[in-house]
Amino acid sequence: MNRGTWLLGRLAQIVPSFLAIGGLVFVLARLLPGDPVSAVLGDRASDATIARLTAQLGLDRSILSQLFGFLSGILQGQLGDSIAYRVPVTRLIGERLPATLMLTGFALILAIVIAVPLAFVAALRENRWPDLVIRGVFQVGLSTPVFYVGLLLLTGLAARARLFPVGGYGEGWLEHLWYLFLPALTLAFSFAAILMRSLRSAILLVLTAEFVDFARSKGLRPGLILGRHVLRNALIATVTLVGLHVGSLLGGAVITESVFAVPGVGRLMVDSIFARDYPVIQALTLILAVLVSLAFLVTDIVQMWLDPRVGR
Amino acid sequence: METIKGLTRRASLALAASFTALPMLGISGQAQAAPVRGGKMIYGRYADSMFLDPVLNDANVDIWVMTNLFDTLLQPTADGTGVQPGLATKWMLEDGGKKLVLTLREGVKFANGTPMEASDVKWSLDRARNPKLGPWGDLVSSIADVAVTNPSTITIMMKTPDPTILAALATFNTAILPQKLFEAAAGATDEEKAKAFAERPIGTGPFLLSDWKREVSMKLVRNPHYWKKGADGQALPYLDELEFQIIKDDSTRLLKLKAGEIHGTELVPLTRVKELQADPNLRMELWPSTRVVYLSMNNRPKLKDGSANPLSNVKVRQALNYAVNKDAMIAIVTQGQGVPMTSFMSRTTPLYFKQDLYKVDVAKAKALLAEAGFPQGFETSTMLVSGNQDQLNIATAVQQMWAAVGVKLKLEPLDNASLTKRYRADDFSMRTGAWTNDIADPGQITSYFAYFPNIGSLHTGFQNDRIDALYKSSLEEIDPAKRAAQYKEIQEIYAVQAPILFLFETPYAVAFRKNAEGFVQIPLGNNLFEAAYVTK
Repeated sequence: MNRGTWLLGRLAQIVPSFLAIGGLVFVLARLLPGDPVSAVLGDRASDATIARLTAQLGLDRSILSQLFGFLSGILQGQLGDSIAYRVPVTRLIGERLPATLMLTGFALILAIVIAVPLAFVAALRENRWPDLVIRGVFQVGLSTPVFYVGLLLLTGLAARARLFPVGGYGEGWLEHLWYLFLPALTLAFSFAAILMRSLRSAILLVLTAEFVDFARSKGLRPGLILGRHVLRNALIATVTLVGLHVGSLLGGAVITESVFAVPGVGRLMVDSIFARDYPVIQALTLILAVLVSLAFLVTDIVQMWLDPRVGR
Repeated sequence: METIKGLTRRASLALAASFTALPMLGISGQAQAAPVRGGKMIYGRYADSMFLDPVLNDANVDIWVMTNLFDTLLQPTADGTGVQPGLATKWMLEDGGKKLVLTLREGVKFANGTPMEASDVKWSLDRARNPKLGPWGDLVSSIADVAVTNPSTITIMMKTPDPTILAALATFNTAILPQKLFEAAAGATDEEKAKAFAERPIGTGPFLLSDWKREVSMKLVRNPHYWKKGADGQALPYLDELEFQIIKDDSTRLLKLKAGEIHGTELVPLTRVKELQADPNLRMELWPSTRVVYLSMNNRPKLKDGSANPLSNVKVRQALNYAVNKDAMIAIVTQGQGVPMTSFMSRTTPLYFKQDLYKVDVAKAKALLAEAGFPQGFETSTMLVSGNQDQLNIATAVQQMWAAVGVKLKLEPLDNASLTKRYRADDFSMRTGAWTNDIADPGQITSYFAYFPNIGSLHTGFQNDRIDALYKSSLEEIDPAKRAAQYKEIQEIYAVQAPILFLFETPYAVAFRKNAEGFVQIPLGNNLFEAAYVTK
């Protein structure tokens, strides 16, 4: 099997899994107690008002007919209108997705930038003070709740020191980066800890491998050994970890977005679940599933490049 | 008729008072600087609006900001109890209250520059009273017909005389929209057209919506055609731009205010009022509201699961009320920012009747429980919205106070949709609740709290024939004294029967930077920015 067919095979797995995810979310959303109409209309509405809106939204049709409508909608690219906001969900999500993507991407880059050099330092100074300090600090990072780290950064660096804005998203790319720095750092913190620990042990493992001894005995410069042989091999496990964690980064974005008032999809997801806004819940889950699948795909491709045995 | 004159007189008195009183209501004692024109104000909101259509909306997040875009024929006074001229300058009730003649303000233009016509008014009122559209039609269901008498006069014929008609014409759902623009909007049905129109709504209000990113921000710009004049004799509003930023997290919203990134914010948690009052850069404003906070009890003989319900016994409900120390509760939950309820309606509601409602008396509570056959107390439960700190504090305080009389209260935190579902199905023992009026009249709150046929008295199942009869006759009672007597009796019966646990009233807590002034929030909740301004 060559790499092209391997890639096609991976892509082919994605489509049916989306329909399955779509169907699953559709059913799960409806298993929640309560319904969007009384969530939107609240306590005060009369039964007649509730019945009228239910019929208007087609929620009085049978579950199967609704499911069919939803799945055929997906295939035509129609995801429906939000019940609470009365605008197309694609627009609702389209307005927010860039902020979440940027926040998650920024956090990912920050985590890598923080974790990779520190992992090397820690591994090369194993069990000496730099290693202990780095691991100690990250242990705290790993065990502190995200919203708390966020509030600390907000109060200290933004509200007191005025180095960063307290919340929001700004306008234009440069402002986005500036506004998103603290939330990205918050989000990156615990992930960097996981990444650093995994990379550190991978490096320690690779350092004992025979090919490293061989490279040393060839007389290669230590920098070259670390860069070309150790890093590349140690990264294989780490890349998988990064790929697997994109999903949880997106999940962490929910809390971070809410603390830093970032207008992303995370908060929208939570609000939509509380409001039982079925079309938004369904569409968002699908889009997040696409993103996570894409992240897995990219992970596989990067791995293939790092480790030529993959995909053969 | 004298009674009718009485109504109009109250209205016109309120009108005369309101123009002079308005600037003085700016709460803080300091002398106000002269208003500054131009500039931009940023106001932090806890939640975004959902649907800016006066008729089809159904939430406070819409209602409370819509007055910045649309005007009604009459407007509520700043104290929230009377009406003053809006798009109508004069009004006359004739024929024993069966006919209302309104004179339209001259030269009013919509924000796009087209003149407001009498036909726009007729069309808007007909839409507001269409029972098929939206949840608010009942407020104007007494209207039989709206006719354009001449280009500046509207005549409303009533099915029956309605003492609330003036207040109803000052309520958001009767706002005047441009008929032609609305009808030209995309879509086939009223609902579809309203959706399209509400994207860029055009009204006669002080501002015009220029950009709306849902859940992020709403930008409003000055309506250059607005009819109301400021203190300097020039047209309002003072601001060129008003931006609402949606910041859901309370702590973040307050941090942004302290950092000067926003000028003001709503819904300051009452537990943080003192902290903000101590900040020299900020001004805490506590506006009188119509908000009451209570626990509703299931009054039915049996609960949904078929078990006997101790709360069906009026002595038990009275005992539970006597067992709660409202002052202590206010101190704990609102840090002293609330006042005890003295009727089921707030002090700011017209025809409110003050009573001494269940001053804490543990011995009496125990005696009443014993009389009711529960000398050892009993176990019951309350639903509350999970994650809502205020409700948790209230429920916990009640739990502790009731423990003293042997009543064990179980807390059932639920997400809002699940809670609403069980509430609507009458499947609960108790639930936490809060209410604000939408109209300056006691009728609305009474129809929800006390009048059974509407929603079963807050789904409590409480039914009192005398209250139902009094409420029904109050709908057509145009003698203010007689109507006041009806509402006095309703409030007295309700207090004795105690279908709910009476707790407290809270103000609207908003905070501004010292350089941002002129904001008004009336007891009905409406946020008025027409006279707001920012100094350097």
